[in-house]
Amino acid sequence: MKTWQRLKRNPTLWKQYFVREQVIKAIRSFFDEKKFHEIETPILIGNPPAESYLDVFQTTLLDRTRKGTPAYLSTSPEVALKKLMTAGIGNCYSITKSFRNTEMQSNTHNPEFTILEWYRVNTQYKTIMDDCETLLLSINKTLGDGNILKYQGKSFDLSKKWERISVKDAFLRWANVDLLEFFEMEKAKKICAKKGYTVASKNTWEELYNQIYLNEIEPHLGVDTPTVIYEFPGSMAALARKKPSDPRFAERFEFYIAGLELGDCYGELTNWKEQEMRFQEELKELKRLGKTTYDYDNDFIHALKEGMPESSGIAVGIDRLIMLFANVTNIADTMFFPIGDLFEK
Amino acid sequence: MASISTADFKKGIFVTFKNEPHQIMEFQHVNPGKGSAFVRTRLKSLKTGKVQEFTYKSGESVEELPVETHEMQYLYPEGDGYVFMDNRTYDQVTVPKLLIGDFVRFMKENDTYQILIHEEDAKGNTVGGAMKAVTLETGAEINVPLFIKQGEMIAIDPETGSYVERA
Repeated sequence: MKTWQRLKRNPTLWKQYFVREQVIKAIRSFFDEKKFHEIETPILIGNPPAESYLDVFQTTLLDRTRKGTPAYLSTSPEVALKKLMTAGIGNCYSITKSFRNTEMQSNTHNPEFTILEWYRVNTQYKTIMDDCETLLLSINKTLGDGNILKYQGKSFDLSKKWERISVKDAFLRWANVDLLEFFEMEKAKKICAKKGYTVASKNTWEELYNQIYLNEIEPHLGVDTPTVIYEFPGSMAALARKKPSDPRFAERFEFYIAGLELGDCYGELTNWKEQEMRFQEELKELKRLGKTTYDYDNDFIHALKEGMPESSGIAVGIDRLIMLFANVTNIADTMFFPIGDLFEK
Repeated sequence: MASISTADFKKGIFVTFKNEPHQIMEFQHVNPGKGSAFVRTRLKSLKTGKVQEFTYKSGESVEELPVETHEMQYLYPEGDGYVFMDNRTYDQVTVPKLLIGDFVRFMKENDTYQILIHEEDAKGNTVGGAMKAVTLETGAEINVPLFIKQGEMIAIDPETGSYVERA
């Protein structure tokens, strides 16, 4: 049965779906109060940023003679916002649709989803952690629930400081692994094999790292309080800058509540040379994986050359936030038209 | 035993995990970032009935356990298990209580159930899990896994009329 049919037959369901409009209104008023500019970023783009772990949707832009140019659906508003920061807009945010292909068969993904990104100029990324705390509290209050968020039988007091733990400390605490030692591929293989994971010669370091992260670290995140996990290994920097005092780590954090990964923040990389090199590596990786490839966004490299201000920013999955506030465990239950209603199996 | 890849995972199949037979209750794909893709599973131990999560590297090979479905009659409880008998061969098996759990409330002596059996080794049979014939609100009879409780919504394949998943 389609969602609209279920709503017609069971009007008590409307309440759960109206959480979406309330959450989005609360986010807008939170940032409007802080004098952030709200930006509309393009969804149809010619050159995505190169990110090998994402599958991009490809389409074709036609001119009057029907001559085609490859076009893509945006996977996030990030580079558009960064260009405007270079132009001087200052603190800004965007609430927009983003698209990531192959992300089906999951309770926490929909290939078309709503994303929130906000950026602060001349700000350290730890300030964004504070933003996350105050934003979620503010949404909860708007929904009339005060300080306490109730999700799947658990209560979270959002007025309290969240747990903050570095990836290095988390590895030591929950997996009994010294990450500095694990950085060496041969040691990583030995540690994984000793733990009973299968280790093959084709395995990348990131696979070994994530196998421990997903099996031994993630289940502990956001269990009793929301958790911020910060300082990712340098090879997982994505568009984040390296930690100036220890470049083996990147200024990147994620936050979790009740096992849901809700946001991904970077101290933004502003060095154009390093960004260009990373895009080239990501493009190679896309080819190796046999994924859709494209000419990456060179205009973004230009923007960095002109000088983007030091800044920090975060991407938050709004649909997952809504799962949390609507107390549902499947992302489809937050959407009037989830992917399963639109495409027959 | 046959090796399968994570790409072949289906709900309900039986695999070896940490040298013990387990059933895949659920699975989903996870892409945590650069250079890696994973499949998160919920695995139920056939020895202890315990359910745990494990995340496999995408493409990792896993031993699938072959199982056979036998129509069996429930006879009586005995020790830590319930005794079933194959109506054709008169073979008897004991299904551990841990695997059946609360479902025993819906079991009736002399009723026929579908029992999944995995031929382990010379030691004999290990019961891999069981299906139960239930009556739907519509009056139709259908076989469902034992973890389905009364009143639960289930999805049914309209072509085969068989159980697909919890709705």
